[in-house]
Amino acid sequence: MALEPEQLSNKVEESIKSAQETCDDDPVSGECVAAWDEVEELSAAASHARDRKKESDPLEDYGKDNPETDVCRTYDN
Amino acid sequence: MAACTVYSTQTLRTNISIPTSSSKTHVGFHQKQVVFYTKSNNKRINSNNRYLITCKASDSQTIVIGLAADSGCGKSTFMRRLTSVFGGAAEPPKGGNPDSNTLISDTTTVICLDDYHSLDRTGRKEKGVTALDPRANDFDLMYEQVKAIKDGISVQKPIYNHVTGLLDPPELIKPPKILVIEGLHPMYDSRVRDLLDFSIYLDISNEVKFAWKIQRDMAERGHSLESIKASIEARKPDFEAYIDPQKQYADAVIEVLPTQLIPDDNEGKILRVRLIQKEGVKYFSPVYLFDEGSTISWIPCGRKLTCSYPGIKFFYGPESYKGNEVSVVEMDGQFDRLDELIYVESHLSNLSSKFYGEVTQQMLKHADFPGSNNGTGLFQTIVGLKIRDLFEQIVASRAETPVGATKA
Repeated sequence: MALEPEQLSNKVEESIKSAQETCDDDPVSGECVAAWDEVEELSAAASHARDRKKESDPLEDYGKDNPETDVCRTYDN
Repeated sequence: MAACTVYSTQTLRTNISIPTSSSKTHVGFHQKQVVFYTKSNNKRINSNNRYLITCKASDSQTIVIGLAADSGCGKSTFMRRLTSVFGGAAEPPKGGNPDSNTLISDTTTVICLDDYHSLDRTGRKEKGVTALDPRANDFDLMYEQVKAIKDGISVQKPIYNHVTGLLDPPELIKPPKILVIEGLHPMYDSRVRDLLDFSIYLDISNEVKFAWKIQRDMAERGHSLESIKASIEARKPDFEAYIDPQKQYADAVIEVLPTQLIPDDNEGKILRVRLIQKEGVKYFSPVYLFDEGSTISWIPCGRKLTCSYPGIKFFYGPESYKGNEVSVVEMDGQFDRLDELIYVESHLSNLSSKFYGEVTQQMLKHADFPGSNNGTGLFQTIVGLKIRDLFEQIVASRAETPVGATKA
């Protein structure tokens, strides 16, 4: 199940702290670089989640999967 | 994949059986062998039986497009514009993994190359490698599966879950008319490169990338200007070592730079976008302004067209890029109004549009997408039309040359 933007935000925050710590120990290590790469990946995921939330309408989503239900039926004439 | 029809002049006396054996060699790699044999109850061999086997390529004429971009996969604006040109909206596969990166429309399937990560997030952390590093990606599997799809064989493709950072169970990908592989390394491996019918590289300059990432991340709780900068800087070495060199192989590069119209602009709102088109690519005729091979600078704003500050400036000319002969169309500035867009469209040539105003129509259709008022949207849309044109030419050429017949 896709995480809520809130949970992803938490992950982003944690990953930034972790990256800062890792890089304090050794700024030129692969671990430091990999840690910031993880920050980038999570930031991108968080941004996508925010966009998806903005675009989505719960009734539209439900109707897409269940077009025959009363709330989602459309009549053409 | 070929469909073979067997004709026999004698239809009654022989039994023709077609057993198929299917053997799996790898995750998702299928081989199918068809054996034709006849069995006759007559003791005398009837020499009047003649069999003619003809084979022709079936409708699986999948063309493969590679798109190199750092912006993550599948959901990006470029992909949505591209799939819109071919018709239909691309959506994640219904009923499958909700975190799938794949997008499917009527004609097009978009695959995210992150799905070919050989190391998940934990694995990369342990080894100290970024996702940009080739060591984190399984190019053998990427090649096998893209080749299989191109040959008309469905594959079970792994899923890389961007949220959990884990590799999820695979999903079925059936060969579409157009397969787009999008990600960091579509042109890195030479075998995969050779499978591509057309390739595009989206090249965002450092200043613009920085401005965009600030816009994207400043709203995030944990981020600050320093952390955004640190993240970009840390990834730079790997980016320049592994991703950037793919530019030389791309048939089209869309380069996004800060504007030259406003001195010292650092907001990154007005963009200068260059469409760098390789010459001599089969089925691809570059877009041009005024006359092919000439050089021209053009400001459309004037008596016929009034533009607001800072205006619009176009450039077209031949250049040399990474050792290749290219033609460059460049747009600096922004469209404010519909009539600016249609005026510009009417002066560009070789757009491969099907009717006057098609580019404008496509841009308006997605007026809410980022870049809809500047060169990024314009050139992405044009590249979409070029790919459609390429697809139609390939299909037409394949229809003319079916595989030959053999006599038994």
